[in-house]
Formats: sequence, C-alpha cells, structure tokens
Amino acid sequence: MLEPISVSLASLNLVTLSPMLIAIAGGLIILIIDLIKADLHKSLYVMLTILILFVDFGSVLGLNVNERGFFDVMLIDGIAIVSELLILAASILFIPLALTSKRFHEYSYPEFFALFLFMIAGFQFMVASDNLILIFVGIETASLSLYTLIALHNRNSSYEAAVKYFTMGAMAAGFYTMGSAVIYALTGSVELYQVADVLQNRIAEPGVMVAILGGSVLLIAAFAFKLSLFPFHTWTPDVYEGASAPLAGYMSIVPKVAAFVVAMRIFGMYIDLGIEWVRIAILVLSVLTMTLANMMALVQEDVKRMLAYSSISHAGFVMAAIALDTTKGNTGVFLYYALFMFTNLGAFTMLWISRHKNRVHHERYDHPYEKFAGLVKIMPFAAVIMALFMLSLAGVPPFSVFWGKIYIMSAAVDAGYVWLAIVMGLNSAIAAYYYLKLIVYMFLKDPEENDGTVTYNMTKPLMTIVGVAVAATVGSVFIMQPLISYIFYMVSASGY
Amino acid sequence: MDNILSVLVFFPAIAALLGFVVDKKSARVYGISVASVELLLALWLWMSFDSGNAGMQFVELVPLVPDFGINYYLGVDGISLFIVVMAALMTLLGMIGMSIEKDIKNMIISLLFLEMTMIGVFVALDAIVFYLFWELSLVPMLYIIGAWGGPLRVYASIKFFLYTFTGSLIMLVGMLFMAYLYHSISGIWSFSITDWYALVLPVSYQIWLFLAFFVGFAIKVPMFPFHTWLPYAHGQAPTIGSVILAAVLLKMGTYGFVRFSLPLFPDASVMMIMPIAVISIIMIIYTAMVAYAQEDMKQVIAYSSVSHMGVIVLGTFAMNAEGISGSIFLMLSHGIVSGALFMLVGVIYDRRHTKLMSEFGGLASVMPKYAVIFGIMLMASVGLPLTIGFVGEFLVLLGFYKVSMIGTILAGTSIIIGAIYMLSLYKKSFFGPLTNKANEKLLDLNGKELMSLVPLVAIVIWLGVYPKPVLAPIDNSVKALLTFMEEKAQTPEAKERIVVSTTMKEAR
Repeated sequence: MLEPISVSLASLNLVTLSPMLIAIAGGLIILIIDLIKADLHKSLYVMLTILILFVDFGSVLGLNVNERGFFDVMLIDGIAIVSELLILAASILFIPLALTSKRFHEYSYPEFFALFLFMIAGFQFMVASDNLILIFVGIETASLSLYTLIALHNRNSSYEAAVKYFTMGAMAAGFYTMGSAVIYALTGSVELYQVADVLQNRIAEPGVMVAILGGSVLLIAAFAFKLSLFPFHTWTPDVYEGASAPLAGYMSIVPKVAAFVVAMRIFGMYIDLGIEWVRIAILVLSVLTMTLANMMALVQEDVKRMLAYSSISHAGFVMAAIALDTTKGNTGVFLYYALFMFTNLGAFTMLWISRHKNRVHHERYDHPYEKFAGLVKIMPFAAVIMALFMLSLAGVPPFSVFWGKIYIMSAAVDAGYVWLAIVMGLNSAIAAYYYLKLIVYMFLKDPEENDGTVTYNMTKPLMTIVGVAVAATVGSVFIMQPLISYIFYMVSASGY
Repeated sequence: MDNILSVLVFFPAIAALLGFVVDKKSARVYGISVASVELLLALWLWMSFDSGNAGMQFVELVPLVPDFGINYYLGVDGISLFIVVMAALMTLLGMIGMSIEKDIKNMIISLLFLEMTMIGVFVALDAIVFYLFWELSLVPMLYIIGAWGGPLRVYASIKFFLYTFTGSLIMLVGMLFMAYLYHSISGIWSFSITDWYALVLPVSYQIWLFLAFFVGFAIKVPMFPFHTWLPYAHGQAPTIGSVILAAVLLKMGTYGFVRFSLPLFPDASVMMIMPIAVISIIMIIYTAMVAYAQEDMKQVIAYSSVSHMGVIVLGTFAMNAEGISGSIFLMLSHGIVSGALFMLVGVIYDRRHTKLMSEFGGLASVMPKYAVIFGIMLMASVGLPLTIGFVGEFLVLLGFYKVSMIGTILAGTSIIIGAIYMLSLYKKSFFGPLTNKANEKLLDLNGKELMSLVPLVAIVIWLGVYPKPVLAPIDNSVKALLTFMEEKAQTPEAKERIVVSTTMKEAR
C-alpha cells in the first residue's frame, strides 16, 4: 500500500497563486451575480471587473521576488511580476471601453466579463511558471477565452476571425506540445531549470544536438504563431479586423507580453546553452517580420488593418531584443510594451470611438482612411490626438514609443549588433510613411461628405481612457526613469 | 536670469498651447506679439551674453533619465547664440509679412511650435534632447507645407519628412553607439555632448561614427546628392514655410557639423576634408547652374540657397578659424538674405499668383520700392562688398584657400555664376519695358510688407559694413573649438591641418 504523502500547507506557498485565484474568483462572482439577478446594466460589470483587477494588481505588487510555490510549479520571479502588472494595467485600461454610447452585442452578456477574467488568469499562469505543462494550460485557458470574446462581437467577420484564430491557435498548440515532448524526451523533465541542467550535461553527446534543434524549431514555430512573426503572421490582420477595435488593441499587447515572457524563458535558455542557431533564427524572423509587415502596412486601405500590420512590425522589433538575451534587451521588451500599451490602446480607442454599427464609409471596411479626411477641420482636438498617437507609433520623440525604440536599439548596439540597430532605424523610417498617411488624410485633405459622426461612440469613460493614453504618450519622458530602474531591477533579479 | 534658455525654448510652446483658445480673428496679432516677446528675450540673451567667454553660458542641467544618461541640458556659446537670435527674428518678420488668411490660427500655432523646436535644437547640449527637437521640427513643417502649399504639396511635405526622418534615424544609431562607447570607457551612461567631447576614439571608430552623423546632417543641409527634397519643399511651401526652412531649418545641418562632427571626430573630419570638399564644390557649381536654368523665381532662389549651403559646408571643413567663423557668419547672412528673398517672391506671388519670370518684366517702374529692396537683397546674395553676404563668403574662401587653391577657385566661381543667374533674374523681371498688361496696376509694397523687409535691409547693410559685434563672439568660440580639436587630434595630419588662426584683419 502506498504511503500517504503528507504535504504541509505552508510548503505549497499558496500566496504565489493568489493573483490567479483572485481573477478566477472574480469571474465566478460575476457569473453568480448574473444567476441571482438578470438584466443588470453592463456598467455594473465593468466596474466590478475593474475592482477585481485592482485587487489583483495589489496582490501582484505584494508578491516577493523569486519565490516558488505549489510543488515548484509556480515561479514568481521579476519578469513574472512585471509582466503580470503590465497585463493587469492594460486590462484595466481596456475594460471601460465597453461603456460605449451605442449598444454592442457582446457587452450585454455578463459572460463576456467572466471570460475576460478567466483569460487574465490564464495569462498569469503562463507568465508565472517555468513548467512547460502549466505554461501550456495557461496558454490554452487564455486563448480559448479570447476566441470566444472575439466571436461574441456577433458579426460574420468576427466569427471568421474567431475560427481562423482558433485553428491557427490549435496548430500552434500542437507545435508547442510536440516541442515540449521533444524536450521531455531528451531530459525527462518539464521544468525549465532542470531541463537546462540536463541539456548542459548532454549537449556534447552525439545526436543530441539534432534533437535539440528539432525541438527548438517546433517551439519557435509555436511562438511565431502566437507572436504573429513572419511567416506565421497571416492570421493577424483578419483577426484584428474581425474583432472589435478595443479587443484588437488588447490583442496587440497582452497576449504578446505573455508570449514574450515565455519566449524569454525558453529561448533564453537555448541561447544561454550556446545554441547560436536559435539566436540567428530569431533574429532572421524578427528582421523579416518588421520589414515585411511594414511593407504590407504601406498598401492597406483600412486604418485598422494598417494598425494590425503595424503591431506585427512592432512585435518583430521587440522579438529582436529577445534574441540579444542581455538584461538590457529583456528590460527593453517590457519597457517597450509598457510605453507602446498606452499609445496603441489609445489609437484603437480612437477607432472604437469612430465606429458605426453599419459600414457607412466603405462597403468592406469599418475605418477606411477616407473616413478621417479633413478631420482637423471638423474636430481639431480628435485629429490632434490621433496624430499624436500616430507620431508616437512612428517613433517621433518625445512621445512614448520613441523611448522604447531607443532603449531597444541601444541594447542592440551594446550587444554588438549595430547592423540590427540600423535595420530597426530604417524600418522606423518605412513605418513613418503609413502613419503619416493617416495624418495626411486628417490634416491635409478636405473633409468628405461627413455629417460629423466621427465621434459616434463617444462617452465620458472613453474620453477618460483616451485622456490617460494621451497623458502617458506625451509625458512619457517623466516616467522613464522609474520605469527603467524598476524593470531593470526586476529583470536582473530574476537572472535574465 | 540664469534659466533664460528654458524660457526661450518653452515660451513659444506654451504660447502655442494657449493659442488654441485665442479667437481666430485675433490669432495673427497674438502670434506677432508672442514672437516679438520671444525676440526681445533672445536679444536680452545676447545682451547678457559674455562675449569674452568662449565656453558654454547659461548652462542648465536637470537629470531626466539618469539610468540611461539622458539629461535636460542646455547651453549657448558664440556659435549658437546668433542662430537663436536669427531664428526668433525670422519667425517674427515672417509672421508680420505673412499674407495667409486661410486657417490662420492653425498656422500661428504651428509656427510657434516650430519656433520652440528651432530654438531647442540650437541650445540643446544633450544628444537626445537635440534629437528630440530636431525630429519634432519636422512635424509642424510637414503641416505648413502640406496644408498651405501648392498643388504638389502633399508629395513635397511627405518627401521632406521621410528624407530627413530616415537620415536622422541613422544619426540616432550613431548617437547610441557614442553613448555605448562612453559607457564602456567611463562606466556611466551619458548623452551629454560635453561629456562626449572628452572621449578620444580610435580613428576607425571615428570614421564610422562620422559617417552616421554625416547622413543625418547632409540630408538636412541638404548636400548633393541628397538635395532633391529641397526644390520640392521650397517650390510647394507657402512663403512663410520657405522663409523658415531656408533661414533656420537648413542651418540645423551645418550647425550639427560644427557642434558634433568636428569636435567629436577631429581625425575623421580631417580625413574627410577632401571627399566633402568635392561634394560641396559639385553642389555649389551644379546647383548654381541649375538655378540659372529655372523659369520660376522661387526655384532660382531655392537652388541658389543650396549652392550657398555648399559654401557654408566648405568653410566648416576648412578647419581654420577664418573658414569656420566665416561659415557660421554665412549661416546667419544666408538666413537673412534667403529669407528676405523668399518673402519678396511671396510678395509678387500674392499679387499675381505666379512666380514665372516670363510673366514679369519692367516691374521696376510700377513697384519701385519693391525693386530697390529686391536689388539690395540680390546683391547681398551674390556677395557684393559692404553687404552681409560678402563677409561670410570672403572668410570662407579665405579659409579654404589654405586647404586647396584649386578648390577655392572652383568654389569662387559660385560668386560669378551667382551673379549671372541673379542678375538675369533681375533683368528679366524688373528691367525692360512693361510687356505684360496684368502687371500695369500692381501695387507697391504695403506697410505690412515694408515692416517685415526694412529691418532685414538694415541688418544686411549694418553687418555688411561692421560685422564685428557678431563676428567677435563667434570667432572667440570657434578658436576655442579649434584649440580643443587640435589637442584632441591623434593623427599628425589632423594636428597639422587644424589651424588656430591669428588674424581676422580681412574681415574688418
């Protein structure tokens, strides 16, 4: 008969689980409230969600750095904490966008908010573990919720987007499990820190290198899907176009931050083991991604699709920092997304504000460039704000994305990749063209027949979010110092 | 007032923000008042400037991002002082002479933002702050060209933006590399130019860094073969846009050479003298010839502007006090003269809505005052003695003579070709019989236009006759720069080439 295993509660270190538990409990509370009393207004759920996320934020801030828990499956290190904070901050900014003046299908279901919280819990599991299985569970929890959130938008194109995302995501999950299986076969472990030790010992054995390469190819493919790197990026524009504008903006930030953390853990391990092949592959992928996505963005006719390609290109830019595998590069990843978050969410919010229920400007697109023609004459403030976001995305100083860009470029220069910094610079110049295109439409063209409905969806909460985004975009130079020193400390504390 | 530089930089920016509230009809007066106050502040800066001190004055340093070495670091010396004053002056006069009625409020706000960036570039002593203002200056200019320009305005403004943006991103990589080198030697992150001055770099590094900065500056100047954006920008821009572009924005490039390239990379600069001299001379002669072939008055002045910028670059790379002081003086005189010429073309364009020389002829008889002022500015542009244009051009050629006699002779032909195209422009438009009936009833300069042009005429003659009050502080700082470069230079060629000169008699 098996001896019962006695596990003391203290050794589980359950506090490491508290952020996810808060999100899950919050989701359940929302479902229970719906059971008790139906037909409650969405504003209640929005505020409840914000409060739950706020508590979650506080619990993450209270975690100690470098703790393990739950049979060493949970790993709360610096990058886990920083990325959880980023995810929660972006979510807090995102969820009030449900309070539009017009009624949209998805927000009338409380399940939307519950799913949203479950998704956040999934992302938190993903980043707070170095166990390949738990990472997988996190990815799938988050992705399945996200597919449903997209489909809830209740348009043909959003079903298409959800199905497309689902199939692509399933394929990526397949690649990920196969890659993990190879690692397990090689090392007999799914814990990355043990994997690294075993690989270190076995790397010289004949034949092992081929298996390592095979496994890394599968994992790179899986993350290239998740991060929408070339040539696995084709789903992104369609999915962004089908999803509602705020959700598209959200998708360009939060899932990517989570995936970057996992990529940092896995590929950082490979690069530390001296497998240069992985570094080269990532560099090639990221250079191709930023260049080709920029080229594609040049020819788009719809602002949302343009922004979709632009976020692919930004992801490629940041992916290059992962390949550097220096503390500065990894700091740059979080810094970039912390700054990019405000600008990009702001830009997508501006699209959301201008969103009509029907396509009044173009038969295929919701946000064709023509819609914004001559905006400065109709609504000077909206035009100036949108232009600020575009200039920031283009990397014009002193707006937020510029600081992320120079930090990553500087990391590339420090690591001896001057050519990479030059490629990044030239790509920013290409990108400037399509961001300028919108500015040209807004400022230099005459308005079309337009009944002033560009701010169709405007409400006070939406204005507040835009205001926060503008303040962060313009005043970013003043938050740079605390951000850099905090993130750098956290990243170096966790040894990346 | 020790923080006068911050006030100078941010006064127009805050005025621009407040300008959103000002009523449309009062916007012009608002803009002119703000620009006048700004000019008075700039003059105050000049008055309280210590001409005996060759170093940086009115220095302000506030750490912005200490972990990454970015500081809010401003200062002014003899080299930048007068460019700042000129920027404030040209903005004011341009605004006074402006004839635009459409969306005047947006124009005034853009101009005030532009003024902030222009002054910021010339007083920034931190590379990132410099870069920040440098890039930011593109945005209002893009709008000014794109919204008030000619038929091809959108193309011209985007070309202008993308060209300069691309060049400056390469420069940014150079800056990041400088900061990295500084960090690897000293262990501290710093983007302060004065910190970087202390770095003695191996020559091989210097060359690459020099080239990275060169791309940024050369596109801005613009040097041959990167000059193709300029004729479009000038051709399409409204008068005020051309005035600011020619008078101040182009000077950012040549100023960058003096502030960054020469003191940071003295050895590379000396090695690059010949290639740059060749490019400059091609640019001087080629664009002068192109100017002669133009039919449009504004294009003549645009190309002549490129040609003169070539002389300025040539002087900067003469590596002696005459050459560099001359080129800085020429930056000022070119700013004033080409600015005035663009305003003058704007005057006739407002009346006739054409700039083609073939449409004119005999204008001197209908518009005598206009013809006189045009004549004076034209002579100053050609470099007639006793005008402002002569001083700088002469000093540059004198300085470059020590480098290369043939080069100087070739560059000197620019004065001759300049005289040819300018005088033929004058002949075609102002002399001869009044052939075109449309010109018979043209009104002479009105009060507004006289107000903006007469001060420039006065400056052209004053500094042409007696340049010392401006030239002395410039010369002072330039000599300090050269002494520093000579000490820092490693290769014997560089030590020999960099001459801290003795006399400035010729200028007087």
